[in-house]
Amino acid sequence: MSLATARQAMPMSSPDLQRTEGRPSPRQKVLIRNLDFYYGTFKALKNITMPLHDKRVTAFIGPSGCGKSTLLRVLNRIYELYPSQRATGEVMVDNENILSPGLDLNLLRARIGMVFQKPTPFPMSIYDNIAFGVRLYESLPRHELDERVESALRRAALWEEVKDKLHQSGLSLSGGQQQRLCIARAVAVQPEILLLDEPASALDPISTQRIEELIAELRPDYCIAIVTHNMQQAARTSDYTAFMYLGELIEFDETERIFTRPKQKHTEDYITGRFG
Amino acid sequence: MASEHIARGYDEELRKLNNTVAEMGGLAESQLGTAIQAVMTRDTELAAHVVEGDVKVDQLERELDNLAIRLLALRQPVARDLREIFSALKIGSDLERIGDYAANVAKRSIALSQSPAVRPVYALPRMANLAQLLIKDVLDSYVQRDADKAYSVWKRDAELDEMYSSLFRELLTYMMEDPRSIGSCTHLLFMAKNIERIGDHATNIAENLYYLVNGMPLEEARPKGDTSSVEVMMPDRAPQ
Repeated sequence: MSLATARQAMPMSSPDLQRTEGRPSPRQKVLIRNLDFYYGTFKALKNITMPLHDKRVTAFIGPSGCGKSTLLRVLNRIYELYPSQRATGEVMVDNENILSPGLDLNLLRARIGMVFQKPTPFPMSIYDNIAFGVRLYESLPRHELDERVESALRRAALWEEVKDKLHQSGLSLSGGQQQRLCIARAVAVQPEILLLDEPASALDPISTQRIEELIAELRPDYCIAIVTHNMQQAARTSDYTAFMYLGELIEFDETERIFTRPKQKHTEDYITGRFG
Repeated sequence: MASEHIARGYDEELRKLNNTVAEMGGLAESQLGTAIQAVMTRDTELAAHVVEGDVKVDQLERELDNLAIRLLALRQPVARDLREIFSALKIGSDLERIGDYAANVAKRSIALSQSPAVRPVYALPRMANLAQLLIKDVLDSYVQRDADKAYSVWKRDAELDEMYSSLFRELLTYMMEDPRSIGSCTHLLFMAKNIERIGDHATNIAENLYYLVNGMPLEEARPKGDTSSVEVMMPDRAPQ
């Protein structure tokens, strides 16, 4: 199946998705099935099965080394840059297994944007930071490219702060602005899925709130996955939360449920700070 | 509190919150006991002592509120920890009300002791004993985090309601027989109502404890044994 037809494929239905009140039931954008992941001989993910819903935010929490960042890295196959790392199982994106060897990685990464813990602006102008990725996938006339850059910067709530200095270096921005620039860069190629790996952990509280607000604004248009060590942030920003421990998915449920009445004692111990 | 937090200060603060609730409960329970004793022995000094003692209950409630606010602000509790604090706050206001009712009974006992003794006063300690038992059991269930025990308290409140209904009818009959007793009987009626309300607060506490332990509300319809509020009295006809 091609990507285009896959995108139009009928959504999968699942009984546990019908519970979000007052909103249309979310559609499964991604379905991870029996996923194992290895760093050499070390098994870092053990038989993970869970969905990511479209137009919803899914948070991954768990202590360091539990596999949450690894899981994010599998979703856009970044791990393939390293020869000893491999994944088995399935990651279905719109019913297409993105782990299958024949897949065009560049196309995949255009559909799945990623933002990392530390802001990673390119050493080029603010404008080119955004335009760079767009030029890789599309050749747009100048005025359309300008529009794309502006709308991406607006989406990332950065436009007002940078519109008069688009040709200054991206590195001249503050940490919080740089991170929003990276989010704008990810958004500019019009992806379907956004992966955020601790996007606010290196930022001050005000910048953190801006990023969280931005996640809320992007939520209606994307399938968003966020890894965070800040449990309050997971509680504030996400619709679903996955708790992972030692490479296993311990519990996955609606965020409200996880933070009020988790089913697993292990989850409760972790979120209440009793982890020993 | 089964297992301990990584931050030991957190456990310490939660323990203090628990102890304050338990202390408040113990005090409210003994206030009621002393108030009834004052009624029965017509001891106005003892009654005044109960009225003064209510200040201490109120003070403990303020301490409890401060502890809870501090925990909420500084620890950002979730899940069971959050329910612990939320429940402690609600239980605290129920206990404060129980203290108020006990003080009210004591105040009326001072007025009651000015007039001649009336017979139905002897039904009052039976009600008070049951109310005290409900408070004691619900506090035990709080300390032990025993939702089953709380549930049994919740069910037993119906008995107290029935006692109140029957005392209500008895007092009405008595007042009709001897209008000179109306003053005393009215005081007794209010006291009985106060004790009946104490039972309701004990069931509130039971509900809160159930929620604290299970994370879900106790959803059965509340048992109701008191029919006095819909009772119709005809002056020429004694109630059945």
